[in-house]
Amino acid sequence: MERGLFKPKSRVFIGYLVLPVLWYVFVVVMPLILAFNYSLYDWSGGPRMRFVGLSNYAELIKDTDFWLSFKNNIIITLLCIVGQIGIAFILAALMTTRVLKFKEFHRTVIFLPVVLSAVVIGFIWTLMYNQQIGILNWILRAIGLESLIKPWLDDPKIVIYSVSVPLIWQYIGFYLVILMASLQSIPKEIFEAAEIDGADGFKRTIYIILPLLADTLKVSVMLCIAGNMKVFDHIYVMTGGGPGKSSMVMAQYAYNNSFIMFKLGYGSTISVGILVLSLAIILLSRKLMGGKRQ
Amino acid sequence: MKNPRFVKRVLAILVVFGLMLSLAACKKKAAQQPQQSSQNKNIEEKITLTFTHMFTNDGSAISTGFYNALNEYKKSHPNVTIKQEALSHDTYETKIKTLAAGGELPDVFVIKGSMVDPFYNNNQIVPLNDALDSDMAWKNSFVEGAFDDFKRGDKILGIPIQVQPTSLIFYNKQIFKEAGINEFPKDWNEFKDAVKKLRSKGYIPITAGNKGKWLVESCILSTLGDRFTGTEWFVSIRDRKGSKFTDPEFVNALRAIDELVKMKAFNTDINSLDNNQQRTLYYNKKAAMFFEGGWAISLVTNEAPKDVLDATELAIIPPVPGGKGKPNTVSGGAGWAFQINAKLDGSKKNAALELLKALSSYAYSRPMLEKGGFPATKVTNYDESKLSTLAKKYQQLAKNIKYVPVYDVQLSPGVIEVMNSGLQDMIIGTITPEKLAQKIQQEYEREASK
Repeated sequence: MERGLFKPKSRVFIGYLVLPVLWYVFVVVMPLILAFNYSLYDWSGGPRMRFVGLSNYAELIKDTDFWLSFKNNIIITLLCIVGQIGIAFILAALMTTRVLKFKEFHRTVIFLPVVLSAVVIGFIWTLMYNQQIGILNWILRAIGLESLIKPWLDDPKIVIYSVSVPLIWQYIGFYLVILMASLQSIPKEIFEAAEIDGADGFKRTIYIILPLLADTLKVSVMLCIAGNMKVFDHIYVMTGGGPGKSSMVMAQYAYNNSFIMFKLGYGSTISVGILVLSLAIILLSRKLMGGKRQ
Repeated sequence: MKNPRFVKRVLAILVVFGLMLSLAACKKKAAQQPQQSSQNKNIEEKITLTFTHMFTNDGSAISTGFYNALNEYKKSHPNVTIKQEALSHDTYETKIKTLAAGGELPDVFVIKGSMVDPFYNNNQIVPLNDALDSDMAWKNSFVEGAFDDFKRGDKILGIPIQVQPTSLIFYNKQIFKEAGINEFPKDWNEFKDAVKKLRSKGYIPITAGNKGKWLVESCILSTLGDRFTGTEWFVSIRDRKGSKFTDPEFVNALRAIDELVKMKAFNTDINSLDNNQQRTLYYNKKAAMFFEGGWAISLVTNEAPKDVLDATELAIIPPVPGGKGKPNTVSGGAGWAFQINAKLDGSKKNAALELLKALSSYAYSRPMLEKGGFPATKVTNYDESKLSTLAKKYQQLAKNIKYVPVYDVQLSPGVIEVMNSGLQDMIIGTITPEKLAQKIQQEYEREASK
């Protein structure tokens, strides 16, 4: 009887799993198969579809705009790995020290943006970046740094960084919570021992926290890559991929093709391309980070 | 012992699932029934029409006419409930395309000339010829050429909302005077001189908001292009009769815009403002002029501070030296039209058609005209004294104007997307006019090959 409590019979197990698996197949696997199917057609959204085989893929490989948006995704991903996880790590390390007061308060404030809608954040930051009425330029003017004032969302050289900032800002809290959870599972004795041995501040972070959090950090990096390869709503609201194509990301490009240019077949091809590239990069990053050593 | 229990559990789950499904099915059936019987009984039945449009109640000429007509319709059709959704222009365009792609168009909606082909090819809209022919008074009430953007052969695929220019120059004559320009430039070279003079006085010569990507193409390039290429070139492009976007005339038009950008004629944040924000600089007297369509007449009348409004004059893009186009043309036309979903039938379709009729009636056109709008129907009996000064200035200007096609109304969405985002690229200097022309031509040829 007791064994049964902790280890359900495999049939019961399967029985409980059926619904979630069915649901998963319905919302994830089916659309994937459908998207792949659509990607083989020249299709503008209605009943008229023309089978074109793999020629959409041939076009995708030659499509410089697609590769440009891929490059933008990579830039955003790198910035977010450094920005989100880096800042979250520093904050998490700070939370373990006695220097920082009101930890609960800080944690709540930092986590707050995570639950906000991306569209709202996009609008708020568009206003902040505004050249005439934006708070960013207002601050720069107020502290006498007028020479730094730029059309933040208009300059093709910096726009990709401008749109990354809100993204980074929004999800720091998310990684902070993950890292904090992992930090709290480290026994207090280790820190106490470290303190006695004279490792504090910077040393403690490098020699104790970093190695102990290595696995969590790997997972965070993976989450970060997965999230940023499909980033869409922030950029859609702030620039729509513009000016020109300078802040175009893959998801936005797929959207533009599908719904603005009425090329749903090609749009699906791009979506499949996103999937393939994201998987490739996640696998590559796992290789680079040492994979499943544990 | 174990087996039957497991089977029971699975069965229980399946039963629950089945019940849920059948409940959902019941609901659907229940919802469908009254609809079916309504076809037999007609009129007295309650009808609900979904209506997605882009007229927010902002006091502009068009929304005044629109809501006036809509209220009249509601009064005369108490059995019809209209569920409306009003969106801003740019959002609307995206939304309607998305709905169309998903096959979920509302019952009544607004359609752009360039959407007609994909919608029609996918059987999402039907020609309105029968409805128009059954009421000749209605059909004849429209101004000449109102249906042009929505005609495919003999088929009429939309009831035009208004007929208006998309490219007017609004300028502040006080600022012009201050810069030593006493008269609006007579040709393109003079215009460029004027830009330089305004610049040297510290003004932004032209304020523009191209975030929606259509403004530079719709309000500047469509007319400027015509000055360089002449209308025959565009007709030949549209009908695929041999003209190319790489033809030197069109490239010159792109170069002219590029030149303006290089002269710093525009505000630096041109690609992150939209067309409503562009006017703010003008109202603040930081900018000397802006390019926008006829719709801006009523907006400027409502929004501008009095001194700016008094100083505002209207002009059209001056002729270019050596250009093939006529000097008195302006890009314009209907552009947008009302349409109904092809799926509608029976009394629902009748109610929708009557709504279209109401939206081109006297109750629609008169208040619109009096507020400085551009109804698509002929209105003879209206109060001229109600016209604003700016609207009167336009009526004066309009006497000599002839409309030529707007690019984004008559070209395919694919070509337009390449052109519009390419123009953004060109404005920020990441692509040359020659390269842009090639890119547009490439997309144009790619579509032809399909």
